[in-house]
Amino acid sequence: MWEQVKQALAQSTARFLTKSASLLPGLAALILAVLVSLVVGWILAVVVRRVLASLRFDERMTRWGFASLTDGSVLKSPTLLVARSIFALVILAGFLIGIAAFDFEWTSLLVRSILAYIPNIVGAVLVLLVGTLIARFVARSVLIGAVNLNLQYARLLSEGIKWLVIVLAVAMALEHLRIAPGIVELAFGILFGGIVFGLALAVGLGSKDLVTKSLGRDVKRAPSEEIEDPLRHL
Amino acid sequence: MGAHPTHGDFVTRSVRAFDKALNRPSKLALRAFEDQLVETDSISLPTPQEAKQIDRADLVIGILTDLDVQAMTALRDALRTLPGSLRIAVVESDDRNHPAAPDSDAPPNSPAVFFVPSPLARPSSAGAGPLSMAEAYHSIFLAGEKLQARGCCIVASKLESATPQRACRLIRPLLEGDVDLVLPHYARHKFEGLLNSSIIAPLTRSLYGKRLSNPMGPDFGVSRRLLQKIVGTGGGRAGGNGLHPLASLAPAALCDNLPITEVHFGGRLYRLPDWTNTSSLLSEVLGPVFLDIERNAAFWQRTRASVAVPAIGEPVGVGEDTARIDTARLLDSFVLGNRELQEIWGLVLPPATLFELRKLARLPREEFRVPDELWVRIVYDFALAHRLRTINRDHLLKSMTPLYLGWVASYAHDLAMDHFIGPDQRLERLALAFEAGKPYFVSRWRWPDRFNP
Repeated sequence: MWEQVKQALAQSTARFLTKSASLLPGLAALILAVLVSLVVGWILAVVVRRVLASLRFDERMTRWGFASLTDGSVLKSPTLLVARSIFALVILAGFLIGIAAFDFEWTSLLVRSILAYIPNIVGAVLVLLVGTLIARFVARSVLIGAVNLNLQYARLLSEGIKWLVIVLAVAMALEHLRIAPGIVELAFGILFGGIVFGLALAVGLGSKDLVTKSLGRDVKRAPSEEIEDPLRHL
Repeated sequence: MGAHPTHGDFVTRSVRAFDKALNRPSKLALRAFEDQLVETDSISLPTPQEAKQIDRADLVIGILTDLDVQAMTALRDALRTLPGSLRIAVVESDDRNHPAAPDSDAPPNSPAVFFVPSPLARPSSAGAGPLSMAEAYHSIFLAGEKLQARGCCIVASKLESATPQRACRLIRPLLEGDVDLVLPHYARHKFEGLLNSSIIAPLTRSLYGKRLSNPMGPDFGVSRRLLQKIVGTGGGRAGGNGLHPLASLAPAALCDNLPITEVHFGGRLYRLPDWTNTSSLLSEVLGPVFLDIERNAAFWQRTRASVAVPAIGEPVGVGEDTARIDTARLLDSFVLGNRELQEIWGLVLPPATLFELRKLARLPREEFRVPDELWVRIVYDFALAHRLRTINRDHLLKSMTPLYLGWVASYAHDLAMDHFIGPDQRLERLALAFEAGKPYFVSRWRWPDRFNP
């Protein structure tokens, strides 16, 4: 009996070792792929950082209103953020290549589904970027216009418009990513409607004294009074 | 002598000839214009042979203001006093204002005056802004070029002492002397033309080296040489990339060292300002001015001191000027702008200027004064930011509105508090400050990143 136990043990050990040995090339390929991607990623990150620094990328991002994207992160510089993102992407690509080397069905499925999702990520990032640009432009237009109309709530109006556009862009990006579309749709409707309703209340009711004062500054005299204003610009 | 054609036939032929001269499709213009025909038998019309000659004219007079029939008759009579047998085309949008006196009353060998109605020479509304006025100027310039006129004159403003002869005063220097641009010198009340007095005129003086009181007219006389330069460069178009017919006229003449002269007129009758539109006015007027500065940078960086231009006629006084303005509204705008637009101004103005503006906003109203040096640096910094496209250009110019209104309030306070200084002396001081600040502008223009006080 001991002979049979020893034989079974030897056979299972041999199978295990054979299976493990068959994994070794894949493992070696994975480690090599990750190491190579580390080196390539580091080189790319350095090159990108130097190119962006020469283009004064941080300054341009600040001017276009994207500086706030790095406010919540450890990295305060958009250049560093882009460089580190590229580094991470290259490592991820190397990892996926290494995983695909194992030649298992589930690894191939995983790689295929990740690659199929990348266009959605790219689309969502584009939507966010364009949405932020538009929000910034519209907010600035509204702010300048409201200040020139002597509206005391100019800043409130401008921020409200900006967040409306940003919320819209985020909702569109999340729908692009197919992340809980039903919940996002509902949440967007509530949030968007809430912001609009809040603005309307703030301007129409809560700030009615300010509105009256602002409008009253330009309509001080009764229409029946005719006072000639001698100021002429051109 | 055969029977004269009807008024309708003459106008139809005129419009067809005019449109043909302008290479425009005639059907549209004709249909639109025929709707406006007014039948009258009181006008003695030229023969068909004379109507065909309307393809050429020695002078083109563009009327861009409302003149009634009496004024137009006086204008025609004044034009007939010009020397020589000239063909003068008066382009005006409304043929109902055309003179009713018969041509047979004209003195012999006097200029022949044709009233050419054109729907092109009409600003889009009575309160037309600078953009639609620029389109109207463009149409007159194009007419002058197409009719191969020796000179073109624009009458765009009404004068207090309604003088239809002002067209002759703008034309005579073009005919008699070697002058390419004739500009008006209006008698101004102290709160009139402040955008011109605070920015355009002193900027032109300091950069281009000539003391022009009204570089942007709106009335002026232009020689064929200057007309070809404006129209020939694809310009005369409102907006776009070409030369602006109003803003580019004086700089184009100055850069080519063309002779310029000024003619003294009386005071103008101004339209009421639209307070909701001040920012659009700034954007539409200063945009082309700053574009010209960028275009002519190689020229103005070489000029040094400014010189006066010859003037014709005697200066006209405006009498006692006791006008006062309400500066509270202007100061409210400045304070609100200072509070809300710091982020935008920070992209344009250096920290030292921002600091001074914040100090000004905290001053009591009666002590509010914008120093000339500060205002000069602000204008130069905005001109530079316009070139660098630091922010959207329309946003840039509109964000300047509170600063401009602050300057107006300061100017009003200066005149109210200092009874010994008149508006002319006050504005002369400002113009000298612009000239003194030019090195600052040249330095910032050449090294926008390195020189930033």
